[in-house]
Amino acid sequence: MKTVHPLPDAASVVPVRQPLISVDKLTVDMPLGRSGSSVRIVDGVDFTIGVGERVALVGESGSGKSLTARALMRLDRLAKLSGRVDFDGTDLLKLSDRDMGKLRGSSIAMVFQDPMSFLDPLMTIGDQVAETLRIRGIGKAEARKRALAVLDELGVDRAAERLDAYPHEFSGGMRQRVVLAMALVGEPRLLIADEPTTALDVRVQDQVLDLLDDVSTRRGLAVLFITHDLGVVAGFAERVMVMYSGRIVEDGEVASVFAKPSHPYTQGLIKAVPRIDQDLNTLYAIPGAPPPPLARPSGCPFHPRCDQRFDRCGVDLPALQPVGMSRVACHLLDGKGA
Amino acid sequence: MLAFRAYSWFLSRRLGLALLTLWGLASLVFLMIKLMPGDEAQMAAGADASAAQIEAVRERLGLDAPVIMQYFSFLGRLLRGDLGTSIVTLQPVLADLEKVLPSTLELVFIAMLLNLAVAIPAGIVAAYRQGGVFDATSRITAVMLGGMPAFWLALVLQYVLGSVWRVVPISGQQSYGMASPIVTGAPTLDALMALNFGAFFDALHHIILPAAVLAALFATQIFRTLRASLLGVLRSDFIMAVRAKGATARHMLVRHALPNSLNPVLTLSGTQAGAMIGSAVLVETVFARQGIGAYMFNAVAQKDAFAVLGSVMFIGTVVCLVNLVVDILQLLVDPRIRAAQLGSQGQ
Repeated sequence: MKTVHPLPDAASVVPVRQPLISVDKLTVDMPLGRSGSSVRIVDGVDFTIGVGERVALVGESGSGKSLTARALMRLDRLAKLSGRVDFDGTDLLKLSDRDMGKLRGSSIAMVFQDPMSFLDPLMTIGDQVAETLRIRGIGKAEARKRALAVLDELGVDRAAERLDAYPHEFSGGMRQRVVLAMALVGEPRLLIADEPTTALDVRVQDQVLDLLDDVSTRRGLAVLFITHDLGVVAGFAERVMVMYSGRIVEDGEVASVFAKPSHPYTQGLIKAVPRIDQDLNTLYAIPGAPPPPLARPSGCPFHPRCDQRFDRCGVDLPALQPVGMSRVACHLLDGKGA
Repeated sequence: MLAFRAYSWFLSRRLGLALLTLWGLASLVFLMIKLMPGDEAQMAAGADASAAQIEAVRERLGLDAPVIMQYFSFLGRLLRGDLGTSIVTLQPVLADLEKVLPSTLELVFIAMLLNLAVAIPAGIVAAYRQGGVFDATSRITAVMLGGMPAFWLALVLQYVLGSVWRVVPISGQQSYGMASPIVTGAPTLDALMALNFGAFFDALHHIILPAAVLAALFATQIFRTLRASLLGVLRSDFIMAVRAKGATARHMLVRHALPNSLNPVLTLSGTQAGAMIGSAVLVETVFARQGIGAYMFNAVAQKDAFAVLGSVMFIGTVVCLVNLVVDILQLLVDPRIRAAQLGSQGQ
């Protein structure tokens, strides 16, 4: 059932896709308590996702990947956003709350990490899936019918009987299907999946990934998949963006990034994936920990942990620049003498 | 059918529990009678009774029997609805309560409505706009009202609204000549039943200030409880999921955030209903209204033991009933409580 993505060879032409969402210099500031001051979690992020494209956003906890995703839908009420998020030619950051609300669920939808805590415990599954449609004025019977159709499509067994069941009566895997159904019932064009498999056990993870793979292929759905699991990236995404300390440090086709990572951080991440043929006593980990957003080092935020750093790294912040078909933010690419 | 059986099993369990509570309260009341200084027969016979009269009363009331037998006959009388005889009105306490109670229940009912109608919307707005101007002012108001003694608030409002601005009457429950035929004993209800709208609005006009004073104290608790509970719920993940569906703030608050924060508010308002009847003592006295509060106040002042204890039993019953209603409401709101209380039959 699992779809195998053929690795594109280096000579193949990158298919030109119509851009669906383009993000330009996006920053996210979160307030610090009630002090009035704030901290910049996402620091100038640019990327584009094409129609039907599957992109993975990878990074350690605290790198800002979830906040970036939420910023695309303006979900954090406290976050202060700046930059541009163009979706279908409109800047989402300039929309009124009411217009943004209309886009949520129908154009851009989201699947979340923990399916239990993201379902309202007091509302039936059927009502929660149908709600996306009911909010838009679709009649009760019609909304219920469409909710049932989506639940059926996602393989919720005995869906018709279980429309009136409550979340606590479902298993973890079934709940994740319900959360996915909630996102898909509005027929969005972009699905943001925020670590949708992290809280599930491995067998269920595979099922949910296959499902996501299936659905996005069938519906031509673009997916932004947030994860820290590189195995999931390799199986699911076409392109991968690596985030570190609030910035994108590398962005490229999955196959070429995995084969030849350019940024030392990406190299470290790939090296840190345990392999079945590897001696378990020599598991690799990148030394140190990501800097807290309030104490980012000067220059390249990764330089204190980087084994290839040189003088310039502590001084200048490297910009994201094209390297072949990828984009990388690292001074190494300019040569040490430059 | 299965669900019906599960519900009736739940109800009978809760009713049994309520009866057990009332039995405990009755025993406590009996103990209080026995521990009170003074001779019951003397109290019942009156201060001027002769020794022979007192002995006659003692025999008639069975006070010469052993205490344990007295206890059982006390419980037996309670079961028959006999709360004893008031030494002041010389009427059975139950008959007295039937006269004064509707007026109190009316006051408490309107106060509870005012309480919830003000505190719940205020709590929602304060929590949703946490740290905003409304949040700050309503929290300060809540602290001030909550820290103010009820009688003081009542006196100040009587003075300002009743005496200086003269917008509401300061005492009584209706104006002269406004009385409707007594059916229930509650002035607003009686006026409504007689289709006498003049009298109805007159009675409302009289009840609004005491009800507001009574509500103010309790509204601060509901406001704070709901605000705190909502703040927690608003931070939870499923609220973000609801927003991600494109729900408006109003839809999110009313359909998701509020139901999920209601449980502590329901529990609190259950205990409040009992406490409100207790606080009615003060409000009814200050506003010169009839009711169980004024009745108890006089009973205490005149050492009318059976009137006091009858009222206590009665308030206890009301509290048990209200808590039963709260239990059922919680069952209706939360499917998880339903599953736990009713078992698989309830699903």
